[in-house]
Amino acid sequence: MALVFKGLKESFLRLGPLLLLIYICISEFHTQFYYWDIFSFNLQFIIIYYWVLRDPGILGYGFVFLCGLINDVVLSLPLATSAMSYLFVSLVAAYVRNATVRTSLFTDWFTFVIAILVGNFLYFFLMNNFVSANIEYSAVFYNSLFTFIFYPVFWGIFELYKKFSFARLNA
Amino acid sequence: MPTSRDDFSIAIRSALLQRGAKQKFSLFVLILVSIFIFTLDNANLKPIKILRSLINDGIYRISAVSSSPIKFSGSTKDFFVNHMFIYKENERLKIELNELKSNKFESLYLKTENNKLQNVLQLEKESAFIVVNAKVILDKNSPYLNSLVINKGSNARIKMGMPVLNEGNLVGRIVEVNFISSRILLLNDLNSKIPVVISPEGSQAILAGIGEKNPSLQYLPENFELDDKENLIFTSGKDGVLFPGIPVGRVIFESNQVFVKLFSDPEQIDFVSVALKRPEGAGVR
Repeated sequence: MALVFKGLKESFLRLGPLLLLIYICISEFHTQFYYWDIFSFNLQFIIIYYWVLRDPGILGYGFVFLCGLINDVVLSLPLATSAMSYLFVSLVAAYVRNATVRTSLFTDWFTFVIAILVGNFLYFFLMNNFVSANIEYSAVFYNSLFTFIFYPVFWGIFELYKKFSFARLNA
Repeated sequence: MPTSRDDFSIAIRSALLQRGAKQKFSLFVLILVSIFIFTLDNANLKPIKILRSLINDGIYRISAVSSSPIKFSGSTKDFFVNHMFIYKENERLKIELNELKSNKFESLYLKTENNKLQNVLQLEKESAFIVVNAKVILDKNSPYLNSLVINKGSNARIKMGMPVLNEGNLVGRIVEVNFISSRILLLNDLNSKIPVVISPEGSQAILAGIGEKNPSLQYLPENFELDDKENLIFTSGKDGVLFPGIPVGRVIFESNQVFVKLFSDPEQIDFVSVALKRPEGAGVR
């Protein structure tokens, strides 16, 4: 019984980041706050980049793809726009994981710039060439800037999550 | 240099194709699948449209349910904030009440006069449109789209382009119709552009969303000057899609630019009415 309970707990804790990603994509969760119009950030990019880079076993590419599709439906974007963007963020994270031996917060943080640029460039490219929708460039710029600034904060939170949840399970 | 290029290509190839112990799909395969889905979705094929419509309905419902804790926490916060400011509000309401009392007799006179004029003009006193009421089930903004999802779709005879009202004022138009849900593009979205008329001068202009709370007025006539009175904005119906005469907002001047303060705050909409059609023989309100 105890073993079953431990197994369930382990599965649930390992699913934590994935559940958070799905919830953010599917719910009305705003990362944009109206009392300060320019403040918004892309939490999806942060979650995907961190977990694909630091612990790829937690967040499968298939789920990243699925979350992208859900996000497209909720935001009424053409299907697979966000999915492609998320997959390219995953690609940068996977590349950094393969190319570097020792990673730290600073290497993660500065390579995250490339991920944000690649992800948003793909958005621009698809929206400009295939969708007749105007894009608020300043909003996207601020979104990218705050996503970059907030990365270390979430890096710390996810490191703590890993430390406490997985260490307790291994004990 | 060739060595570093080799390292780069090996790392990229590995990132794209390697599945690892717990990955069921490689990135390369998923990117190809994404391109395929994107192409199909953009092809505007009827079966794909129906499929997308069904997916939209399903996801919107799940999304509405999963958003309920966020909505609950938001309303709880509002409840406490309102209670904290209840004394100030009471003072403000007392002042407002006094003002209203003084305006009461004037309003009664205007009402009587209005009734008389309506009789003269033989305008219909019933609702100006045949509407279908709907509840907002999803309100998720992004840097790309300011829109709302409502719980009525083609099952309630809603069609693309129909005007959406909140308390009789225009808030947007329908841009996506599914079977049991629809999406409204709000007036303040960057992609929203509707022809309007400025009362009382009757100047024509385009109300364009700029991604901020108050949309702006574009293509105003040369030497346009605001009247000393209140300048109100109504739909002109010049596009042949929206009905003419729907109230939109009032003109405001900010840093030498003409904006429109909407009558219905786009961030405070819970229920809307979709104007299906105007009753036979009904005039402009």
